[in-house]
Amino acid sequence: MPPGLDNLKHIVVLMMENRSFDHMLGSLAAVNSNIDGVTAALSNPDTTGAPVKPQPLAEFQSQLDPDPDHHFPAVDLQIFGGDTTPTRAPNMQGFIKSYFNQQKDVGHSQKIMYYFAQNQLPVLTTLALEFAVFNRWFASIPGPTICNRAFAHYGTSFGRVDMNPIDINEPFKAIYDRLIAANHTAKLYYYDATSSTMEVANLLQHEPELFGTYQQFLSDCESGSLPEYSFVEPNYNDHDTDSGEAVASDQHPDHNIQAGELFIASVYNAIKQNPDLWQSTALLVVYDEHGGIYDHVVPPACPPDQFTASANDTGTGQPFAFDRLGVRVPAILISPWIPKGTVINRVFDHASIPATITKFFLGSYSPRSPRETNADVFIEPNTAPVDPARNLLSLDAMRTDCPDFDVS
Amino acid sequence: MPLIPVLKFDRKAAMNPDRPVNALLKAQVRHLHEAERNLPLQHRTDIYINAIKTEGEAGEYIRQVTNAIHDAHAAAAAKRRRGIAIAAAASDAPSDKGQIQKKSTRATKKKTSPKPTDGTKT
Repeated sequence: MPPGLDNLKHIVVLMMENRSFDHMLGSLAAVNSNIDGVTAALSNPDTTGAPVKPQPLAEFQSQLDPDPDHHFPAVDLQIFGGDTTPTRAPNMQGFIKSYFNQQKDVGHSQKIMYYFAQNQLPVLTTLALEFAVFNRWFASIPGPTICNRAFAHYGTSFGRVDMNPIDINEPFKAIYDRLIAANHTAKLYYYDATSSTMEVANLLQHEPELFGTYQQFLSDCESGSLPEYSFVEPNYNDHDTDSGEAVASDQHPDHNIQAGELFIASVYNAIKQNPDLWQSTALLVVYDEHGGIYDHVVPPACPPDQFTASANDTGTGQPFAFDRLGVRVPAILISPWIPKGTVINRVFDHASIPATITKFFLGSYSPRSPRETNADVFIEPNTAPVDPARNLLSLDAMRTDCPDFDVS
Repeated sequence: MPLIPVLKFDRKAAMNPDRPVNALLKAQVRHLHEAERNLPLQHRTDIYINAIKTEGEAGEYIRQVTNAIHDAHAAAAAKRRRGIAIAAAASDAPSDKGQIQKKSTRATKKKTSPKPTDGTKT
């Protein structure tokens, strides 16, 4: 068996907030032509009809104010450009129109097309170039955070496309419960109690013992007691703590992008600084949804879930069968067993997370949602035969040239 | 191994707990409010969520309810453990039926023995 898979004992997922692929990693198309990022051919019309190209003028904070709309009707406009006919085709031409609706300012609405230059995001861009970057990782639904995060925990959002609490009426268990029931270990780490978790309605309310803090994550990494599966949440709000200011690190507009870079680097460093952990861990850094910000890749259709959101629930006048993915988001898989410069073109969404964890640690399992059952996995199960074309942890020997981040 | 510097930033300038609460935090507050309604009274806050306008206010509410959920579960777990301990202690206690019967007989005798009414002692 490949030594990368043989050694793999821990999978960690860090899910950040509300930034699109082109916005964060689009600059890398100029560095690695295999990365499907920003090119000169891309544009969106503004409300005067003028084409506006993406530009590397994104700022760390205070630019995308108001927070770009990323609820289902707005994302529908962004993807379909305002076409509501039954025969419409997605064209990714509605981003500026959507942002214009919020402030009615033509100049300000064009900023939705801005992206970060490579040197503004040294952590994220280094990780993308050093390890495996996914050209086709999409949000699970063309809508907001709560539903998209639900796909990461349950493999479905139980028919919801909004931000209200989700009632778990169906038998699809959270990935943590599946693992623990089979005598495996799993934990969610939120930053602290003031930030808490976005998975309140079900997991925090009924199983708070599943949760630890970020300080516990750091000490678990140091002591080598990290569970087999860990889900890490960034700090969702600015607040004071006993040890000083905790700047929000989720990168959700209008929080500071650099605080998020620091957080990503800290998670990476915590794993890497324990050599036993580093060689036995795969870290996925992914964003929950695009936050209303421009991306050029059309989200593909997908096998539907067993739920349907009504026309009333979607707010568009049309029902939604969960048969189209959301907008593309940054996703990077990190491990010293991954060749430098790996670029993946297979399609993934957040249902791939429970799909991967389940298949790797449990093998076969049911019941699972149709969306999860059909989702691709980003780590191959360590059972013969392993398809070498699909295995990302493919090196015969661990790399010794992986970067460190100076967070001092 | 290359050492990549993370860009420094002004934490004080980045931080703004007076920032108007965003849609995500509003949703989180709503979810926690639903959870708070299921908590026993002694674990609930006295915060009116409709009055939460800033990120700092949201954070304070989030902190209180998150901790309250943990506390409520811990209290329930402690109660279960006490219940188990009491049941275990009761099942471990030595069998004392003979002593108990003697005691109750003496009590019965004491009860039934009438007091003399002529001043003589029993």
